[in-house]
Amino acid sequence: MRSIQRTFPLFATALLIAVAVVQLTVGYVEVRQASRRLADQRLPLATKVLADLFQVSQGRARVTGLAKNPAIVAFLRSGGRTGRDSALAAMRRLTSDTATNAGLELRDFGGKLLLRTGRFAITDSVLVSPGKDSARYGPLMRRDSTLFIAVTAAAGDAERSGGIVQQLSRVVFNAQTPKMLTGLAGGDISLYVGNASGDPWTDFGALVPAPPQRVLTSHTPSLYERAGESRRAAAAPVPGTPWMVVAELPSRLVVAPARGYLLNMAPIAILIVIIGTLAAWWGSRRLTAPLVGVTQAAAAIAAGDLTQRVPKGRDDELGRLARSFNTMAEQVSRSHQHLEAQVAQRTKALEGTNAELESFSYSVSHDLRAPLRAIHGFARILLEDHNAKLEPEAQRLLGVIDQNTRRMGQLIDDLLAFSRLGRTDLMTGPVDMKELTQVIADEVRRGDTARQGSLEITIAPLPPARGDRGLLRQVLSNLLQNAAKFTRERPSAHIEVGSLPDGGQTVYFVKDNGAGFDARYADKLFGVFQRLHSTDQFDGTGVGLAIVKRIVQRHGGRVWAEGAVDQGATFYFALPGEES
Amino acid sequence: MPPQAVDILIVEDNANDAELTLRALKQRNLANQVHVCRDGAEALDFFADRVRPVPKVVLLDLKLPKVDGLEVLRHLKGETRTKAIPIVVLTSSREEPDIERAYALGANSYIVKPVDFEAFARAVSDVGLYWLLLNHPPQ
Repeated sequence: MRSIQRTFPLFATALLIAVAVVQLTVGYVEVRQASRRLADQRLPLATKVLADLFQVSQGRARVTGLAKNPAIVAFLRSGGRTGRDSALAAMRRLTSDTATNAGLELRDFGGKLLLRTGRFAITDSVLVSPGKDSARYGPLMRRDSTLFIAVTAAAGDAERSGGIVQQLSRVVFNAQTPKMLTGLAGGDISLYVGNASGDPWTDFGALVPAPPQRVLTSHTPSLYERAGESRRAAAAPVPGTPWMVVAELPSRLVVAPARGYLLNMAPIAILIVIIGTLAAWWGSRRLTAPLVGVTQAAAAIAAGDLTQRVPKGRDDELGRLARSFNTMAEQVSRSHQHLEAQVAQRTKALEGTNAELESFSYSVSHDLRAPLRAIHGFARILLEDHNAKLEPEAQRLLGVIDQNTRRMGQLIDDLLAFSRLGRTDLMTGPVDMKELTQVIADEVRRGDTARQGSLEITIAPLPPARGDRGLLRQVLSNLLQNAAKFTRERPSAHIEVGSLPDGGQTVYFVKDNGAGFDARYADKLFGVFQRLHSTDQFDGTGVGLAIVKRIVQRHGGRVWAEGAVDQGATFYFALPGEES
Repeated sequence: MPPQAVDILIVEDNANDAELTLRALKQRNLANQVHVCRDGAEALDFFADRVRPVPKVVLLDLKLPKVDGLEVLRHLKGETRTKAIPIVVLTSSREEPDIERAYALGANSYIVKPVDFEAFARAVSDVGLYWLLLNHPPQ
């Protein structure tokens, strides 16, 4: 069953949930975008700071200075033949105070090694074409797990008289360096350096895989995966070197504020939804409870409990509804009581009338018959005991008295039978009409003694009826007796009993080929004491068909007749079907 | 003088009916010892005389002055001395309640008086014959 009390809170809850979801989604997206914008501003800044740091921190100037040292220049101009000691001394001054120095080499322009200091050599060639006026950086190089940087500068003035100074420095890793750099960049950001062309790369603590080329060439921060984690990265070249620096933030840190927003706001949204639902439920209850009361009271009244009323405490539309309802219920109750009183009164009056009728028919039965019996009895006594003294005319007159008293007795009996019909209750049940008709037909044949000609009674298969067997027996009996009576003078009499289906009811008929009747008076046939033939012609009191009509009507059916003078008659009676 | 023994007691208020009844009995020679009471009270008085032997059959009308037939019936069937007497209700009433009450009170027969005199005479004399000659009451 649909109920406002349930649907309204559900609707309100759905609405609140929808609003909460939209609000959370929009907020989440906006916070995420804002934090991404912030990251995109921070990352390039960090790369720039790092690139600048590289420029100032590396000792390009020292190699430039060494290349201008006269002892070095003289040594190289001589092709390594003279001034070896003074050149070595100048080189040692540089290498001895630099922990990172791997080696310092002097080569001619052909690349041939002329002099070397330092702890080890990593290559036997010039690693980067030397800068003319200042030293130039080569790419990062890796030997096993160590990184080197080559810095070369040209010494002397031309290729024919001079050479190359090449310094090889080791990049020293320190576990603290990445943390320090991260701290410098403002936390969270990881910094990397490596060759623009690819490996090797480092985070200053260890070797790391190079970022993809697209990250290095992109001008704006972009996404890529490192060690299975999505990162947002910005790259920048270190000016004057073939290196690049990259600043990275893990994506999860970029979206962390948005997640934080969700984590903070979701419980608040859920709380709002719960409070809203409760409020809607309470409100709808408050709104519908009086309606439920009215509905229940109306149902109770409909079920017959007219004393039901609705509490009418409120002063709003619902309160007015309750008051109107109570007024209506009051009126219904009053008119119901009035009606019941009337019914009781009528019933009492009817009972009185019925009792009067009963005592009337009792009186008729008893008191009317007694004098009749006396008249008949004493007339008979006159005829029997004093016959000899009576003239023939007196005898005839006594005969008339005799006849009429008999007839009067019959009339009284029939009238009583007719009036009894209205008072007895129907004992309804299934009735086998075919069998019943058979029994009555046998009775009619047995009692049909005055007939001269032949009598044939045909009975078609008859559907069963539902009714009072005794009364239906009387209907069939009266109709068949009538048919026998009115065919008495026929040389060959036919009586046919049959039935016709007619919608929900069954029509039974009794048809004869007897005296028939004038169709103009067909409606008078079923009236009490109505006769269409004289008593001389056919005896009878005129009650038989009235009884038939009354019985059929009490069964909820109807009777009618068809016929014509000397053409026979057909009497029909329709009874409601078995199911009704 | 000891009261006369009675074979048939007729309780009937209608003098004509009583006369017709007597005549019908007479035709069968059953009217020798018949007594007629004209109302219910008289009938009860008749039985109040304990010296008189009880009749062999009572023909009882129902609609009687003073004490009605059903009351008489109830009284007779309630007394040890009279409850074995066959009581034939002989009345004009064909009403089902009358018939039921009469039998409930112990009536031995219920006969509706026919209007037709021949039928009436036959009914009365048959009743007389049956209860006086054919029936064997307890001794």
